[in-house]
Amino acid sequence: MPTVTVQPDGIEVPLEDGETILAGLFRNGYAYRIGCRRGGCAICKVDLLSGEVEYDHTVAENVLTAEERATGTCLSCRAVPVGDVTIALREEHLRRVSSLLAFYAMAAQGKGTPAASSAPNSG
Amino acid sequence: MSVLRMGYMHVRVTDMAEAKQHYGNTVGLYQTLEQDGKVYFKGWDEWDHHSVVLEEGGVGMVKCGFKVLDPGELDGIEARATRFGAVVERMSAGENAEVSDGIRVILPSTHVIEFYHSMTPVGLEVGTHNPDAFPRHLVGIGAPRLDHALIVAEDVGEIERFFKEVVDFYPTERLATSLDDDAHLIATWMTIGNTNHDIAILEGPNGKIHHFAFEMRGWDDILHAGDIFAMDDTPVDIGPTRHGITRGTTIYFFDPSGNRNETFAGGYQCFRDRPVVTWTPEAVGKGIFYHARELNERFMTVMT
Ligand code: FES
Ligand SMILES: [Fe+2]
Repeated sequence: MPTVTVQPDGIEVPLEDGETILAGLFRNGYAYRIGCRRGGCAICKVDLLSGEVEYDHTVAENVLTAEERATGTCLSCRAVPVGDVTIALREEHLRRVSSLLAFYAMAAQGKGTPAASSAPNSG
Repeated sequence: MSVLRMGYMHVRVTDMAEAKQHYGNTVGLYQTLEQDGKVYFKGWDEWDHHSVVLEEGGVGMVKCGFKVLDPGELDGIEARATRFGAVVERMSAGENAEVSDGIRVILPSTHVIEFYHSMTPVGLEVGTHNPDAFPRHLVGIGAPRLDHALIVAEDVGEIERFFKEVVDFYPTERLATSLDDDAHLIATWMTIGNTNHDIAILEGPNGKIHHFAFEMRGWDDILHAGDIFAMDDTPVDIGPTRHGITRGTTIYFFDPSGNRNETFAGGYQCFRDRPVVTWTPEAVGKGIFYHARELNERFMTVMT
């Protein structure tokens, strides 16, 4: 299963196979600036620093141009990593909005007991 | 008052199969035609051939159409739109399937709007002779009709002036930087009839659309729509809630290509002599989302 590392803070988040970056981050209890979740509004663009992504739907050229794709812009609501990737959010930080979700997502990954700092309700 | 209403909204979708599923099975519109790569839909409480046109390839608005009562009105619109300085051309019958000849206008904001006088009638789903209150087997949210659109323009004042001077719309509510006469206009909600809006304009990049809306019968149907969106995994932007602006109850949601749709119910009766409501920035959160009283980060930035 691929891992996405999210800069600027270097947070590592496990994804399911076939899962989009957006879906995986939210499932793990994180949030960042998103809009339609359906590839239309372009607000969820991030920079792909390393690794490769595939798109699970047709992405409109007026949302993500060929040039943007070639130069590492990634539409995170439609992008499915092929192997591990590192992305950088644009002018924002990944926010943890649910430590409960993060706790159970970690547990489900078989990572054992998460560190005390990531236990439910610890913030 | 020559214009009757917004008759159709024509948008691009990235995947036609998914879009048909959304507008047909989730929104519950009736497909009336599929031709030349376009799919046409109408709501059950509409009588003309279509109110939504989908075209595959891209995302966002292609154009929208306003119906006028009398073909004779088109000459006046053409003259006034030309005098306004918009790009105006005649369109012939059949350029849009099942739509009459008319006038095509390119607004300074680059939006294309068309005025036409007739469309092939197909009739209300409940008929007009001793009709029932609604069709018994509605699908999805069973949206009755297209209501309005919120388009995005760099110069809101200019587009408001177009709709006033060329087609006699009037604003019912406005969002401005202050109550001063020379305040900057951020958004305006305009109507040609007695509903709150047929068209609204929000400040932002030219040519974009913020959403287009279907009128629902009331709050119960808005709540029911929210239930259907949960069942269909339709992304919900906000709601069910109320807008302070127009007092309407609402859900903003997205189609499978990311075009924002709305279910809208309520509002109040508007008249030309009713004083215009003005909202100012310190209350914009309450104006847009009356209960949360906070603008989410998507409202001003997410559009197609
Ligand atoms: S959230 Fe709208 S394009 Fe990704
Ligand atoms: Fe609306």
